Amino acid sequence: MALVEIRNITKSFRKGEETIIPLDNVSLDIHEGEFVSLMGPSGTGKSTLLNLVSGIDRPTSGQLVVGGVEITGLSRSKLADWRAANLGYIFQTHNLIPVLTAYENVELPTLLLKISAAERRQRVRVALEAVGLTDRAHHYPRQLSGGQEQRVGIARAIVAHPKIVVADEPTGSLDSETSEQIQILLERLNRELGITLLMVTHDSELSRMARRQLHLDRGKIKELASENQPVSVSAGGA
Amino acid sequence: MLLPWEYGVRNLMRRPLRTLMTLFALTTVITLVFVVVGFLRGMERSLSISGDEQVAWVFSMLAEENIETSAIEASIPSLLTSSIGSTFNRFDVDYVSPELFLGTRVTLPNQKSGFGLVRGVTVTAPLVHRKVQLVSGSWPQKNEILVGRLAGTKLGSHDGLLKVGDVIEFEGASWTVSGHFQADGSLYEAELWCRLEDFQMATKRQDISLVALQVKTPSAMSEVQLFCKERIDLELTSISESEYYAELREFFQPLRTLAWVVVWLVAAAGVFTGLNMMYGAVAGRGREIATLQAIGYRRRAIVISVLQEGLLLAAAASLVAGVLALVLIDGWAVRFTMSAFRLRIDGEAIVVGCLIGLLVGVLGAVPPALRSLRVDVATGLKAI
Ligand SMILES: Nc1ncnc2c1ncn2[C@@H]1O[C@H](COP(=O)(O)OP(=O)(O)OP(=O)(O)O)[C@@H](O)[C@H]1O
Ligand SMILES: [Mg+2]
Repeated sequence: MALVEIRNITKSFRKGEETIIPLDNVSLDIHEGEFVSLMGPSGTGKSTLLNLVSGIDRPTSGQLVVGGVEITGLSRSKLADWRAANLGYIFQTHNLIPVLTAYENVELPTLLLKISAAERRQRVRVALEAVGLTDRAHHYPRQLSGGQEQRVGIARAIVAHPKIVVADEPTGSLDSETSEQIQILLERLNRELGITLLMVTHDSELSRMARRQLHLDRGKIKELASENQPVSVSAGGA
Repeated sequence: MLLPWEYGVRNLMRRPLRTLMTLFALTTVITLVFVVVGFLRGMERSLSISGDEQVAWVFSMLAEENIETSAIEASIPSLLTSSIGSTFNRFDVDYVSPELFLGTRVTLPNQKSGFGLVRGVTVTAPLVHRKVQLVSGSWPQKNEILVGRLAGTKLGSHDGLLKVGDVIEFEGASWTVSGHFQADGSLYEAELWCRLEDFQMATKRQDISLVALQVKTPSAMSEVQLFCKERIDLELTSISESEYYAELREFFQPLRTLAWVVVWLVAAAGVFTGLNMMYGAVAGRGREIATLQAIGYRRRAIVISVLQEGLLLAAAASLVAGVLALVLIDGWAVRFTMSAFRLRIDGEAIVVGCLIGLLVGVLGAVPPALRSLRVDVATGLKAI
């Protein structure tokens, strides 16, 4: 069974008279441990798809099963609880809380878990270590560089041991050198820690890091390349 | 699961100037609330005196309850003693007090003058008015005056004047302060007491204003009423002290209501101050709030966090205002035509003031908190 099962998902937005259908009957499976990149022209619905998988947006129709849970049927607060336990989100701009230190930012998701204080400290420490920022733990976001901020954002996304981590253009606002560091970091997290990653990017170099590359255009998903066996991808509707 | 408190605390530090200004405004508002609540407490306390059920005031029917304008013959007291069998009597002394009571302009030792309430009494007065107690000095002798605890306040003088030995003037005569009395917060405390005969001499009157008499049991009060009714020729009426205070309470009721209206209006101003600040604070935090939700914080946690901010600010303001109230306002004097009392910041006033303060904080934060959740998470994440 796939970790993420996207079944005939359609998402449409109504803007006045006009209806936009960025996702039209999309189906896709993502397996545990995969590193999947999603490319495609601007405005095609990549972020929309990511938000659906993350349970922060709801599909117009279709089914979404993540880790065996049908998340489209969950209430808003149940969905929040589900995200706390199962999802890590890496944002384009780190979205760190400016009044909290790097440590506190990373700690934030763990406060939602039923774990001991010692376990919490341990996890935050490990996450900061994984992104190489142990020495910046007590800095506030404004005292960090853009790349460091993004690394704190990544630590925050993995600290709760989520089943899946999604990233929406994680290097989108970084210079090429910093982007490369982040690329390497993401690849390492996937390879060494076995973190399942679904990443949207415009950066073809970053996309090549992923072991599986998808392309979204005009509501349909195309498989570009896969290191492993191509896993059931079907652009529905046809 | 809730967001950590530090988050709220530090959020307040984000815009220190604005927070400080709001804190100042809220402190002002809550201090004003304290002033009015202190006023109410002071007034309630002076009205909480229930009055003596066994003491009747007999005065002229024509005075229509305004005892200052009452004039009755000086022979009435003895007539009452002989006619009313249940007059309290001890060691052969009848507890009947003839009194001349007038409001008059009083010149203080510093040459300032104020409107004072003077009661000319005899030695039976402290027997009938059981609450009256000498706290310093001695009972007045010729052209001496015994000063109630709040008389100075009533006259608009600050404490320190009207010491024993000070000389004041009224009704064309000079009076030396012989001592001070208290009366358990009752209206007598605002008065100046002198000997009846001296006061009659000064005012060139032979009559008196009223007779205060103590009966043996509260039920014997009807005997006094009956006497007034039967002797129509004397044109007398009577009221028990407790009835008088009950009427006084009723008289002040609209003022109390008004004071509470002021409390709530002032509090409403505080709510708007809070709203203004919190809307501003939350408006710039759209993306952050969406991020918290994306991480897995429920909407409730975010609302509570914003409320904590408002509450924290209000608590700080309440604390400062409470201290200001205790240090500056407690004991402030308020003057009335008929009396005077002091603002009281007691435990209850502190509790009421702080609760209103906290309520202001919560009410000021609720709408901004809810507003912050109106944007869905996906949109909020794109906010600048
Ligand atoms: N809340 C919304 N209301 C209406 N239309 C929306 C909304 N969110 C997204 N859209 C539309 O859906 C389409 C897909 O948007 P989405 O953000 O998923 O694109 P994207 O592929 O992530 O683009 P980019 O690469 O520029 O980030 C766009 O045409 C956008 O205008
Ligand atoms: Mg996008």
